[in-house]
Amino acid sequence: MILTLQTPRPLSRLPRFLPFSTNASITLNQADSLDRRIAAGEDVGPLAGVLVAVKDNICTADMPSTGGSRILEGYRPPFDATAVKRAKELGAIVVGKTNLDEFGMGSTTEGSAFQVTANPWDLSRVPGGSSGGSAAAVSARQCVVSLGSDTGGSVRQPASFCGVVGLKPTYGRVSRFGLMAYASSLDTIGCFGSSVADAGILLHAISGHDRFDATSSNQDVPNFLSHFVSASSFESKPLKGLRVGLIRETIGDGVDAGVISAIHSAASHFEELGCSVNEVSLPSFSLGLPAYYILASSESSSNLSRYDGIRYGNQVYADELDSLYGSSRANGFGSEVKMRILMGTYALSAGYYDAYYKRAQQVRTIIRNSFTEALNQNDILISPAAPSPAYKIGEKKNDPLAMYAGDIMTVNVNLAGLPALVLPCGFVEGGTAGLPIGLQMIGAAFGEEELLRVGHIFEQTLENCRFVPPIIAEDIAS
Amino acid sequence: MGGVGAMVKGASYSYAVFCGSFLRSPRLSFSIHNKKEKLLKFRSFSSKSTCSSLQPPDVSRLAKTAQISLTPDEVDEFAPKIQQVIDWFGQLQDVDLQSVEPSIRAETENNLRYNVPETFDHRDAMIGAVPSYEEPYIKVPRVLSMD
Repeated sequence: MILTLQTPRPLSRLPRFLPFSTNASITLNQADSLDRRIAAGEDVGPLAGVLVAVKDNICTADMPSTGGSRILEGYRPPFDATAVKRAKELGAIVVGKTNLDEFGMGSTTEGSAFQVTANPWDLSRVPGGSSGGSAAAVSARQCVVSLGSDTGGSVRQPASFCGVVGLKPTYGRVSRFGLMAYASSLDTIGCFGSSVADAGILLHAISGHDRFDATSSNQDVPNFLSHFVSASSFESKPLKGLRVGLIRETIGDGVDAGVISAIHSAASHFEELGCSVNEVSLPSFSLGLPAYYILASSESSSNLSRYDGIRYGNQVYADELDSLYGSSRANGFGSEVKMRILMGTYALSAGYYDAYYKRAQQVRTIIRNSFTEALNQNDILISPAAPSPAYKIGEKKNDPLAMYAGDIMTVNVNLAGLPALVLPCGFVEGGTAGLPIGLQMIGAAFGEEELLRVGHIFEQTLENCRFVPPIIAEDIAS
Repeated sequence: MGGVGAMVKGASYSYAVFCGSFLRSPRLSFSIHNKKEKLLKFRSFSSKSTCSSLQPPDVSRLAKTAQISLTPDEVDEFAPKIQQVIDWFGQLQDVDLQSVEPSIRAETENNLRYNVPETFDHRDAMIGAVPSYEEPYIKVPRVLSMD
């Protein structure tokens, strides 16, 4: 197995970035147990000894799982999520739980009830969201790979902001059992790594049918790992014949010039590798954003009704049941979560379902069909992962629509249920040494193998870019 | 030699990087931030509601339905933001969606399992998470029926 062996940063460095909550004794116990298995000659699996961080909306039985929310502060789930269980079975060591926007609702990780996570490239900027902690932890080399969740871009956008690889699988590829539900028709568990190979190895470990998730697919999981070969074995035009479609709507108005320039450079790189790159238009592209927020807030209003302080979570006592619900939820939820629940409640109210939710589902059909059509004529589609590099902390806090607008590149992929890989492809000005920009590659349903093959080749042949944040590079040098 | 345990405990270890990348100064380009505003203006976020037959959101009433006890300050703070987002949702009213089938989710197979009860092995952990438990009941305050 090929893994990018990065020196994990000493855990004492954590306060600088705050992506994590950790329990050193649990981590050491896992490590010692693995040592014993190795000493006993057992086959320990492809993730043996790999430090994995897990987003805190993914249940871990031996560590608190808060979902980034006060309502679950201190909550210990009675089971591991299937993705966590599978990673551990293959030898992974869960080093801690990472920070996130509360219940996955947000694009900056500022929505966490507990702390702010900084971007390792520039500590005055956000790492993106909602899986900001998972992205920052890999970027800062505090772990090798991490698990996140992606409902509207929450793995891909932070990957772009933090200069790491983010992989969102096809809906149904990875079990959602143990992922705290936000929008059940859109949620996926995804992977971060500092290379395509690392993210792919983790994805392979966690993929496959799970009887505890009725939406998990029976489709076979191919051996992604066979494609992670050394660059020295590549032919001269290793992607010859690949048809790449650049989504026209993602490189126009509203996108930073620096981002557009980075994507055009990426397109040139694809051409050097032997691809044919053409612009493709996806009709109704812009409708995906309001459709997504209608569907997501509606589904979340239903999914979050379980947090009532009765069976788990923090309870604010009252003499009468309705008041207990109202107070526990008012006390436990942050503002963004409250607002989305209220918007979802509105959209699903009697008489309003046809106007909002049903229309959003119809838009979902249109968007799915437009991707299917585009992927008939192209092998993969490419776009930026976000219209800009990482925002400053506090920049988007009071303006929900401005924050939602940043998701324009990512939500349509969730509506269509397709897999997508984001890898760093260039820089724009900012921070001390530039801010990374991610390229998004979108594949056909269950086409992760092709995405990883192509992404690995793209990454291994990309010159002039090394995606290590300056302060980490200093640590390594010293 | 401790192996994995020693590595995690912070013993010295070598730094190995998969081949392919090497340190050069990064390419820089300029980003023009005021272009971002165009994305919002382009999508007609007017303050007028585009669907006159639907009542605007009544935040207090929605909060009651959603069982969240908002303070008056929170109602005042949320109402304009929610109104703005609901107005923005309204742009879907203008789209011709006749004869378009709604999709519940991305296409997946129907993977139901047999409806056979199974024992959950960690009942104690589940019970341990309940805030107010008096064996064998989960304790709640009185339910007052309201109109």
